[in-house]
Amino acid sequence: MTDPTTSALVAREADASGPGGPARRDPSRSLWSEAFRTLRRRPSVVAASVVVLFFAVVALVPGLFTAKDPRRCDIGESRLTPQGLGAEHPLGTNVRGCDVWAQVIHGAQPSLLLAFVVVGASVLIGLVLGTLSGYYLGWVDALTSRLVEVFLVIPLLLAALLALSLFRNVDLGTGQLASILQPALVLTAFGWMGYTRYVRASVLEARNLDYVTAATVLGASDLRVMFRHVLPNAIGPVTALVPTAIAGVISTEAVLAFLGIGISPPAVSWGIMISEGSEWFTPGTRHLLVVPLSCLLATVLSFVVLGDSLRDALDPKLR
Amino acid sequence: MGRYVARRLLQGLLTLFLVMVLLHLLTTAAIQLNGNPALAFFGDRVPTAAQLQAVSERYGLGDACYNQLGNPCVGPFLDRLAAYATGDFGTDLRGREVTEIVAVAAPNTLRLFAVVGLTWLVVGMTLGSLAARYRGRAADHGIRAGSILVDAFPVFVMLLVYKFVVTVPMSTWARDTFGAESLPALLFRPSFSPDHPWATVLVPGVLLGLAGSAAFIRLVRAAQLENYNAEHVRTARSKGLGERHVTLFHIVRNSSIPVVTAIGFVFAEALAGAVVTEGLMNVYGMGGVLWSAVRDSDVSVVVGIVTLLAVVTVVVMIVVDLLYAALDPRIRFD
Repeated sequence: MTDPTTSALVAREADASGPGGPARRDPSRSLWSEAFRTLRRRPSVVAASVVVLFFAVVALVPGLFTAKDPRRCDIGESRLTPQGLGAEHPLGTNVRGCDVWAQVIHGAQPSLLLAFVVVGASVLIGLVLGTLSGYYLGWVDALTSRLVEVFLVIPLLLAALLALSLFRNVDLGTGQLASILQPALVLTAFGWMGYTRYVRASVLEARNLDYVTAATVLGASDLRVMFRHVLPNAIGPVTALVPTAIAGVISTEAVLAFLGIGISPPAVSWGIMISEGSEWFTPGTRHLLVVPLSCLLATVLSFVVLGDSLRDALDPKLR
Repeated sequence: MGRYVARRLLQGLLTLFLVMVLLHLLTTAAIQLNGNPALAFFGDRVPTAAQLQAVSERYGLGDACYNQLGNPCVGPFLDRLAAYATGDFGTDLRGREVTEIVAVAAPNTLRLFAVVGLTWLVVGMTLGSLAARYRGRAADHGIRAGSILVDAFPVFVMLLVYKFVVTVPMSTWARDTFGAESLPALLFRPSFSPDHPWATVLVPGVLLGLAGSAAFIRLVRAAQLENYNAEHVRTARSKGLGERHVTLFHIVRNSSIPVVTAIGFVFAEALAGAVVTEGLMNVYGMGGVLWSAVRDSDVSVVVGIVTLLAVVTVVVMIVVDLLYAALDPRIRFD
């Protein structure tokens, strides 16, 4: 968005605590192990990790927790109140008579899968483009900067709204991957810019350091310098962004589901459950909103706590 | 400085052009994949080819390229650029001028932005400064924990809970206690009312501002903490300046640079938040209009409004860059 010098500055100062220069940092291995040691001692981090792990297991093997099919519904048993553990419907049923417990268990998968796919793909794009533009500068950098700016001008949610509703009639078939493919593509297309700018700023700092010059002088190829020497130092600030970004995608999915785009029925996701359950809160069937909402909030909160602590732990200035 | 401004303006124009190309390609591909939106005009009836052609012409979709998948439709794009250059932003599917729609919708969005911006600035600056001032103590921990909690509550969930859980009992209670037209009853109305644009937009705006201020609090805190231990602050203190003077003129002012950076981000975030807020609370603003235009495949409204929003965003970005130079004497652009 800006010329090289200012945008490096912007990227550096945009981060609340600043990623800090690699020069001031210990060698990367001790930085990571030290960060891990700090994190392990914090009760909030331990609690958040437990929650995240729990929901990860739920998403990976939903069969462990429920034997019911979330899509097999009996309209005669509509809107039952929670019956407690061990009963036929532990968390009651929704308007169409589907089991809420089974839905909330199976709903974890698309939400989390989407988040991991989107953040993984965005980080990958960010790493490649950021490294290339920070290392080569010149026209590569100019091109990347323009591209970043073009995608930054349209806010993520606006773009997702636009693209997903424009292409909502395009059928990609059923199945878990197909149902998240479209939102995943759109959210990635408008979500990679932040990582690119962070990586580029760190690469800019790292490329002029002595050990990089030494590697170049010793005849290392550009690729080797970039991926063996520059990138490991640039990866730190990006790692701290990842948990927060995952939380962001999970909540964006909920918004999209509420607007009727994004992951679409018959797939079940927390966002779809929330949007269906919200209108039944005032008439009295409160668990339809409360159950998926608590799951969503617990997951998002855990990821945000993890991201916040990770950022503090990786920041040498806050030590 | 002058050369820098000129270069930034040129870059901004190039970005705008690229954004329009991107939008054009997206909408064109959508029309080619989904079929001609002009068909919606006929409802269930099957139009003759001539009728369809006539309606398509009126909507500006007459070009044959809209029926060929993969055709970038350069001709209509150039026509649109020429029309925009003369100030003609086209009409919606019912023949209403896009500029006219924007003239009605923009003030509502601006009201929302005013409330959001004020909340964001007041809450963020106050709590962020407090947290930095009392770092490591209970107040600091409380504020940080609070900001993380707010961060975990997505804007959309916050508004949803507000609309479906809070507004109904609150507005019933306020209507019964104070009367239907009283301020408290209006404040908690579950949807926007054009007769009372400020009162009905206040609570959603404050909620949106609170959500945005969470990250901002931490930003302000981090920026001020760096300055608390800086050498120029120690110098100021050793000169015998009062703590208040030091805080206001040496710490707050010097930590305002990252804060200015955040304006750009918050603006984009508020724009996205406006779409959700306006959709949920039925506000007739830019976000709401865009949302319904997207639903009706109203291409000229979508492209026109997103282009306008892009112009505003680019201008905000340039202003933010220029503010750096004004705030930090170390940054020079030549």
